[in-house]
Amino acid sequence: MQGVDQVQPSIAKRASSGGVLLLIGLIILVVAWNYPVGKLTQMGPGFIPRVVGFVICALAAAIIAIDLSAPSHARGEKMHWRGLIFVSAAILIFASVVDRVGLVPSMFLAVAVSMLADFDARPLNILVYATLATLGGWLLFVVALELPIPAFWR
Amino acid sequence: MIDQFLLGLGVVLQPHILMYAFIGVFIGQLIGVLPGIGAITAISLLLPVTFYLDATTSMIMLAGIYYGSQYGGSIASILLNLPGTPSSVVTCLEGYPLSKSNRGGLALFVAALSSFAGGMVGVAILVLAAIPMTIIALRFGAPEYAMLVILGLLAASLIGTGSQIRSFAMVVLGIALGLVGADQTTGYYRFVAIPELADGISLVSLAMGLFGVSEIIRNAAVRSTPGRVMSIRMRDVIPTRAEARTLGLPILRGSSIGSFFGALPGTGAAIASFMAYAIEKRVSRTPEKFGTGHLPGLAGPESANNAAAQTGFIPTLTLGIPGDAVMALIIGALILNGIIPGPRLMVDQPELFWGVIASFFVGNIILLLINIPLIRLWVLLLRIPYQKLYPVIIVMICVGVYSHRTSVTDVVLTLAFGILGYVMKNYRFEPAPVLLGFVLGPLLEDNFRRAMLIYRGDFTVFVTRPISAILVTCSVVLVVFAIRSSIKARRKTARVLS
Repeated sequence: MQGVDQVQPSIAKRASSGGVLLLIGLIILVVAWNYPVGKLTQMGPGFIPRVVGFVICALAAAIIAIDLSAPSHARGEKMHWRGLIFVSAAILIFASVVDRVGLVPSMFLAVAVSMLADFDARPLNILVYATLATLGGWLLFVVALELPIPAFWR
Repeated sequence: MIDQFLLGLGVVLQPHILMYAFIGVFIGQLIGVLPGIGAITAISLLLPVTFYLDATTSMIMLAGIYYGSQYGGSIASILLNLPGTPSSVVTCLEGYPLSKSNRGGLALFVAALSSFAGGMVGVAILVLAAIPMTIIALRFGAPEYAMLVILGLLAASLIGTGSQIRSFAMVVLGIALGLVGADQTTGYYRFVAIPELADGISLVSLAMGLFGVSEIIRNAAVRSTPGRVMSIRMRDVIPTRAEARTLGLPILRGSSIGSFFGALPGTGAAIASFMAYAIEKRVSRTPEKFGTGHLPGLAGPESANNAAAQTGFIPTLTLGIPGDAVMALIIGALILNGIIPGPRLMVDQPELFWGVIASFFVGNIILLLINIPLIRLWVLLLRIPYQKLYPVIIVMICVGVYSHRTSVTDVVLTLAFGILGYVMKNYRFEPAPVLLGFVLGPLLEDNFRRAMLIYRGDFTVFVTRPISAILVTCSVVLVVFAIRSSIKARRKTARVLS
């Protein structure tokens, strides 16, 4: 809701954005710690990863410091859970079945599942639209572009 | 120079290449019109298609999408007050008031004409600069390349809107993602968590995830009603003689500003259009007219972003250094086609090099010709709600990524990058610098390691070689300037709040 007085988000919340980045930097450092570093004149594969890890940690620390000291900041957006869940589901379903059932059924499933993210979608709508979209996809990918992927299960 | 350009023209005017140039600019204009799909998304969607084409044709098509989207972006801005591309944000300021007062047709015509003029100036500068730039670039060694990449990455994160330190952090994160896979010099596996990552992260997955999937997650479940599209009367499209006379200088200024910012690595069309608007307002004798549908305020920025879209190819084609995320994708497409971008490109592949440049010339003419006659089609497209569009985009992303390496892992990775891009943006991190870092990171590592090897770890080599010294100076000036302006801004907000 706009217009409500902006309450200062808690310290943990304000630090979370840089905190996530710090975590990424630390993970890079931990994973790359055993890679051979070499010397400056003869760098090993671990040299740049270590530099990158340290730079990310330093930038993350600076971002945390700025976010904590800055008087006020626009609050992060709210999460779009519905979109996140159904878009993810659509892509995961496509990925898990395309090897087995072929392109056309996977496309149908991906369209149908992703449409569930829309509040206003009705079952019949989804069925009709998914069929049309799949037909279009079949024409584009199988007929026109002749992608080397089987259209139906092999 | 003329000879080479004619050689290129000969390449483009072959019917099948001309067809792909047309397809490219048409798709570009189309996605520019549709808000919510940008050039980056469209180009990453078409990356897999380019494996079935030769390098010249795919470059011509992908580049066409990029500068075509600059034309299309202004259409949605003028008719709906919705910028289709980041660089057409300022077009809304003058374009939408015009269409509210029933002069939308005139606004579209002026926008198309200024775009065309800007684009042509950009192409002319590209043709003039190509040979001298390549001559300089051929003298680049490893230290120069390393410094140029650093300058480009710094410029991309320090110039422009948004938090500079956040953009820079994203550039470094992109470099980190570029490290995944076998090390270029030793073949040592780095960050290979699953065997499928041995060849590195696929550019297609990263780009489609960060820009395609994340935007769909954000917008799919948002109720939207398509805006009311202003009606256009074709009769009042042509400006009066007095109006036409006010356009010449703004177009000239806009084209020059655009050409400059386009050629600078790290800055591009969006910054150019903002600068052009600010300058038009400053030099105008009637600054109070800005914001009410003042034609010079429309013509200047429109020519600037299109000029920048063309001169942006100067560093991309002559040095192999992309100036922004879109150029990074185009470079990626070249590499995937087995061509090493860089100064040797002009020497070894003159047909490709000059063919692509000549295609810009032809493409701008096509865009001017299809812009106004197809206006009814664009207006129709603006009525399509996003809810009908996104399921189709999801399928195109899935099939595109999957067909690239017939890899299910790539599809899952695309989703992972989509979620990453979505979460990042919630934390106010922009995804575009990640892509730039990802493409430039390996170039930086390779050249930096080579420079250190050749010059025995001697850092002074970066300032004793003349070209490298200039690049170092530019970088230092940029950083000092950025720090000073951010301190100033901070003092200002502190003063306001205390």
